[in-house]
Amino acid sequence: MGDDRAVDSVVVTQTVRLLSPFVFTYGLYTMFHGASSVGGGFQGGVVVASVVVTLAFAFGIDQTGDWLDRGLLTGAAVLGVLSFALVGLGPLAFDGVSFEFTAYPGEKGALYAVEVVEVAIGVTVAATVTILFFELSGGFDERGGSE
Amino acid sequence: MTGLLAQLHYIASVVLVAVGLFVVMDDENLLKKVLGLNVFQTGVFLFFVTVGFRRGGSPPIVTGDGGPYVNPLPQVLVLTAIVVGVSVTAVALALVVRIYREYGTLREDVLREAVADD
Amino acid sequence: MISSLSAVLIVSLVVVAFLVASVRDVLAATVVFAAYSLVMAILWVTLQAPDVALTEAAVGAGVTTSLFLVVIVTTELPLAAATFDGTVRRSSVAAAVGVTCVLGVTLPALPAVGSPDAPAFDGVAPYYLDQSVPQLGIENVVTAILAGFRSFDTFGEVTVVFAAGVTVLVIFEKEVL
Repeated sequence: MGDDRAVDSVVVTQTVRLLSPFVFTYGLYTMFHGASSVGGGFQGGVVVASVVVTLAFAFGIDQTGDWLDRGLLTGAAVLGVLSFALVGLGPLAFDGVSFEFTAYPGEKGALYAVEVVEVAIGVTVAATVTILFFELSGGFDERGGSE
Repeated sequence: MTGLLAQLHYIASVVLVAVGLFVVMDDENLLKKVLGLNVFQTGVFLFFVTVGFRRGGSPPIVTGDGGPYVNPLPQVLVLTAIVVGVSVTAVALALVVRIYREYGTLREDVLREAVADD
Repeated sequence: MISSLSAVLIVSLVVVAFLVASVRDVLAATVVFAAYSLVMAILWVTLQAPDVALTEAAVGAGVTTSLFLVVIVTTELPLAAATFDGTVRRSSVAAAVGVTCVLGVTLPALPAVGSPDAPAFDGVAPYYLDQSVPQLGIENVVTAILAGFRSFDTFGEVTVVFAAGVTVLVIFEKEVL
């Protein structure tokens, strides 16, 4: 497998270009609807990451790595964990123990807290899996050791 | 024989654990060792989810009238474990890539000699 | 008694697992592993675990397989002499058989698969199933337990995922991406 592909396969690129928005929307749908149907943060995050991986396989890992914003990926991963921690420590201000979401005010306070937590999980998982994929393929800048 | 068929899931999970352990110990290619580790993990997951299974039960989504539900707690544990498993696999693969950059081989026996020479 | 579909799936699962172990070429073994993960996902559906099936299909057949393929591309593809592995070490076979025997001795003590009066259905499971909608308003009990009742464990899991990203950066001795 060399790095000098002559031309991209038309079938693969066109199919991926057509399917990627729908798969991305399905990933977001799974992430947001974890409370009422099958799904949740992890499943949605992994599906979103698999969209990026499919794009990398179809259009080239170098090109997709150049297109991605590294600050965005790092910020998304950190932001997910931080917002989960903040939502978890929030009940301390409402006379509850940490991670006791039923202490949030309002009839649907616990439900909203769980929704925020699910989105945070999904964002972190998607960003981290993308980072892992591009790091394992040789980093964002240099390609080392490929035959 | 009916006793064997009634426990088929548990027998399969034991066999998967043994196969995964065998691949980790026997194969000299580092990548296949990581594959064996994944097979090992799925064997344990199969045991967990089968413990919570009930014949005639429905998936644990409460919608008013659903009859008896399957135990949701093993599924939660397995969900967490699958994600932790992919993290472990990613770190193991990063170690494999780093080993290849340093020593130029993925075979365990060649690697053992190369490390002994250092 | 388990259904015939489950029995067929389990037998094919074990066969595919043996194929993953015995195929010598690493690229072929990775593709067989993707098929193994697919059969596993269908088995989760027959065990009434749709969340686990979705996660297994996305993670096993998607992310793990693509990570393996990327590593095979960036390292080397060793030429395989034969399709199937011929030589095995006796210590590995002994360890696998020993583990099978030790675990197999405990199998008769387990209740039959799917029996309704198994001890797994006492305790916290009825509490979670009953209290999920009144306390949290969430119908998917798996999500309710993950993010509501036991959200501290999920916080630890998200930290593990984040730590895996950091660890990969440390392994490659990079401070930024």
